Amino acid sequence: MQRNLWFVYMVVCVLFVILIARLAYIEYSSGEKYERIILAQQQYDSQIIPYQRGDITDIHGTVLATSVDVYNVILDCKVLNANADKIDTTLAHLSECFPEIDTGKVRTLLADDPKKQYTVLAKKVSYEEMSEFQKLYDDDKTAKEVAGIWFEKEYQREYPYDSLAASMLGFTTSGNAGMSGLELYYSQELNGTNGRSYGYVNTDNNVESAVIEPENGNTVVTTIDVNIQTIVEREILAWNKQYESEDSPGSHNTAVLVMDPQSGAILAMANYPTFNLNDPWNLKNVLTKEERKQMSEDEKMDALNERWQNFCITSTYEPGSTFKPFTVACGLETGKLSGNEAYYCDGYEHIADYDVKCVNRNGHGMLDIRGALGQSCNDALMQMSYVIGADTFADYQRLFGFGQRTGIDLPGEARTDTLVYNRDQLTHTINLATNSFGQNFNTTMIQLASGFASIVNGGTLYLPHVVDHISDDAGNVVRNFDAVVQKKTISQETSEQMKDYLRSVVASGTGAIAGVDGYDIGGKTGTAEKQPRSAGNYLVSFIGYVPQKNPQVLIYCIIDVPNTDDQAHSNYAQSIVHNVLQQILPYMGIEPTEAVETAAAEQ
Amino acid sequence: MASRTKTVSIKKRRRVRSIAYFDYGLLAIVMLLFAFGLVMLYSTSAYMATLEYEDSLHYLKRQLLASALGFAGIVGLNITGYRWLKRFSGLFYFGAFILCVLVIFIGTAQGSSSRWIYFGPLSFQPSEFAKLAVIIYLAALVADSAKSLRDWHNVVRAFFHIVPLLIPVAYNNLSTAVIIAGIAFGMLFVASPDYRAFIVIMAIGAIGIVFFISGVGYRSDRIDVWLHPEKYEKGFQTLQGLYAIGSGGLFGKGLGESMQKLGYVPEAQNDMIFSIVCEELGIFGAICVILMYLLLLWRFMIIAYNARDMFGSYLVIGIMIHISLQVILNIAVVTNTLPNTGVTLPFISYGGTSVMFLLFEMGVAMAVSRGIRLE
Repeated sequence: MQRNLWFVYMVVCVLFVILIARLAYIEYSSGEKYERIILAQQQYDSQIIPYQRGDITDIHGTVLATSVDVYNVILDCKVLNANADKIDTTLAHLSECFPEIDTGKVRTLLADDPKKQYTVLAKKVSYEEMSEFQKLYDDDKTAKEVAGIWFEKEYQREYPYDSLAASMLGFTTSGNAGMSGLELYYSQELNGTNGRSYGYVNTDNNVESAVIEPENGNTVVTTIDVNIQTIVEREILAWNKQYESEDSPGSHNTAVLVMDPQSGAILAMANYPTFNLNDPWNLKNVLTKEERKQMSEDEKMDALNERWQNFCITSTYEPGSTFKPFTVACGLETGKLSGNEAYYCDGYEHIADYDVKCVNRNGHGMLDIRGALGQSCNDALMQMSYVIGADTFADYQRLFGFGQRTGIDLPGEARTDTLVYNRDQLTHTINLATNSFGQNFNTTMIQLASGFASIVNGGTLYLPHVVDHISDDAGNVVRNFDAVVQKKTISQETSEQMKDYLRSVVASGTGAIAGVDGYDIGGKTGTAEKQPRSAGNYLVSFIGYVPQKNPQVLIYCIIDVPNTDDQAHSNYAQSIVHNVLQQILPYMGIEPTEAVETAAAEQ
Repeated sequence: MASRTKTVSIKKRRRVRSIAYFDYGLLAIVMLLFAFGLVMLYSTSAYMATLEYEDSLHYLKRQLLASALGFAGIVGLNITGYRWLKRFSGLFYFGAFILCVLVIFIGTAQGSSSRWIYFGPLSFQPSEFAKLAVIIYLAALVADSAKSLRDWHNVVRAFFHIVPLLIPVAYNNLSTAVIIAGIAFGMLFVASPDYRAFIVIMAIGAIGIVFFISGVGYRSDRIDVWLHPEKYEKGFQTLQGLYAIGSGGLFGKGLGESMQKLGYVPEAQNDMIFSIVCEELGIFGAICVILMYLLLLWRFMIIAYNARDMFGSYLVIGIMIHISLQVILNIAVVTNTLPNTGVTLPFISYGGTSVMFLLFEMGVAMAVSRGIRLE
């Protein structure tokens, strides 16, 4: 017996040694590998909490673009299967709250993949719909009937005014990436930082959870005034409706810019045609079905891109007569013109084999500077340009900002440096002469408007801007965009004299239609013949300001190729300006200065 | 200690002989293993107990309750002695048989086999009782017919005495049946000088196991899972246990620092607790635990050698074989040396019935040790 007992004990010892060897072997051969596997299989269960992209508002805080929370409906098969008695009631509640969810499909999901913990059943349901279901969990009675459904928060960009200021605001694509306009330019300011909730194993090996709250994006407060913008867009649309025909819209493009000449702040910026920000990829309203069918994807994309353009910033054109004040201001400022000159207009100038015609083919006869601007006489302006000379003209053209980007805080501003003549090119008389009345060089609306603002505000060229300030989630101002003075263009005296002339244009010249009774509006008309000249297409425009003393509002309207047989009249643009001013001046609290006088005259 | 007992025994020879010796070494090792077991049980189960029962002490409390019964048994056996067990050996055997048959019909299932009988809130696993019953029964058998066991035919016959009990146990729980068969095999092996009997028994056993494996579907799965645990979903537990062992290193991550017990090793406090011991205390800690068992077995051997009678001696031999088998099988399963079967690690794994009967067995061994005459 003793021998056998010893034998058994020895066998046990040998087996123990074998097992120790086995342990050591496991550790030696795959210890490091298993350690890595263990760390890798830890579930930290982290979940992103999305930030809310900031709003874009107008100057008074009216929301133009915002992110609203929407919810994805998530099914956790594991949890719902674990509560098998709740499946029927849960599905009943689901189909009641979210009719778009197919409960048959949910049942197959539960059966096919019983352990899957994340399946999106419905996307982007509203807060109201979500909370209706969420209430079931909170109610003691219904809480026993639901399980395995939860909601994932997401934000969706919404534009309460649909197409209002569409091209200026721009829109975003998925992931809060700005596509155009302010949404693109201030995308980083608008975006915040995602938060995160996660579990981790602490030093005591307890799983703890922590939440890093998301940082919401900043709010961009623009200088735009929704009321002014609305009026402007309404008038643009009304005009185009009036002139549209069956096969053609009212104009190729119509655009209006309203700004504060004392700061460069943009009050309204609109163009026609436009698009719906809540549905920017929709070409239905732009093109007919046949047209869309024939188009390739690239062509469709081009059509969309064209539709998203912000005309005031991205398009260049020959300004025409609205440039004439710049030529005159240059002459007066440099002393090349005194204001007492008189010019004889015979209807054309003969320069280097060309007859450069005036508006009035028969000639305006004798005109002073006031008359030249008032009648928009090309002949007189050409004669002035000879006096001014190529060098001075070129210098002042640049001083007013032509040929350079203004630096407005919007993306896609057109380059114009190759679209204006330099000193050498201007030594050719024909170039200088045609430039003097705004032909043969290109500009953008924002360029001309900010330059014009400096003529009427006493000679200060402000940086045009559309954002007033940026505030954080809590409403504290993070960054302020004060008026930035860029240059001094002309003296106060020249400015006063120019305003005097420009007032006459509206009071008794070609700009009479733009005038509003009681207001001392000054301005300049423009009727530019488009390239190719033989096509007979025109870009008509009007730029004006009010009041005469210390102007508060500047308005610039262009109509590119109005849909009429007789295009060459600035009246079209003037009528839009007239209608807009008539509404916005009382709204802005600008007092009529000539009420008594006009009333008396009418009597 | 021995010398002190000796001087005392000279003075009061007659009385001292029966009570003076007590194997304090055995008691110390048992207490140490038991205490270590509680610490590891708490470390392993606290996290999941908090998650499931919102009480980190859930498993520990239940283990302590069963242990209290076990310690009461130790005290009782030391007072009453072990000899009365012989008189009731047949009753124990019959009782165990009845309970093991009963559990098939009225037992509560956990998984595919029903192994528990509930008495109100208390649950009881008859197969644990069957182990002790077989030890007592065979010890009595060997003590009564030691001489006849010299004939190997009688050894085989003696082995077949336990087959009626093996059948209902194996029906529910193959691993316990294997342990019971192992205990019987070991005890008879020690008792018999003729090895031919064991060749016969092993041959029968091998045939029986092959029959069983091919006959019952889920057990043959286990062989596939054993060979390639990474390929099967059922290999998850084995694989996670191996990860735990491998990641422990030489000295482990430190007590309480296991990551695998956080739900990765399923029911880590049960059969797989040794993998968490390896993860927290490393190879070094694992070897220490194994050495503790070796010391325990060594004490059993000493007691068996010196026991006053054959019955006491074979009781302790049975207990020794029981514990060695469980330790070896458990560690072999945890290290995937053998296919996965539910064998608990004595004193350390969670299991009320198991720890209670283990303590009863320790009580029996201590009672036997008290009968030792020192001359």
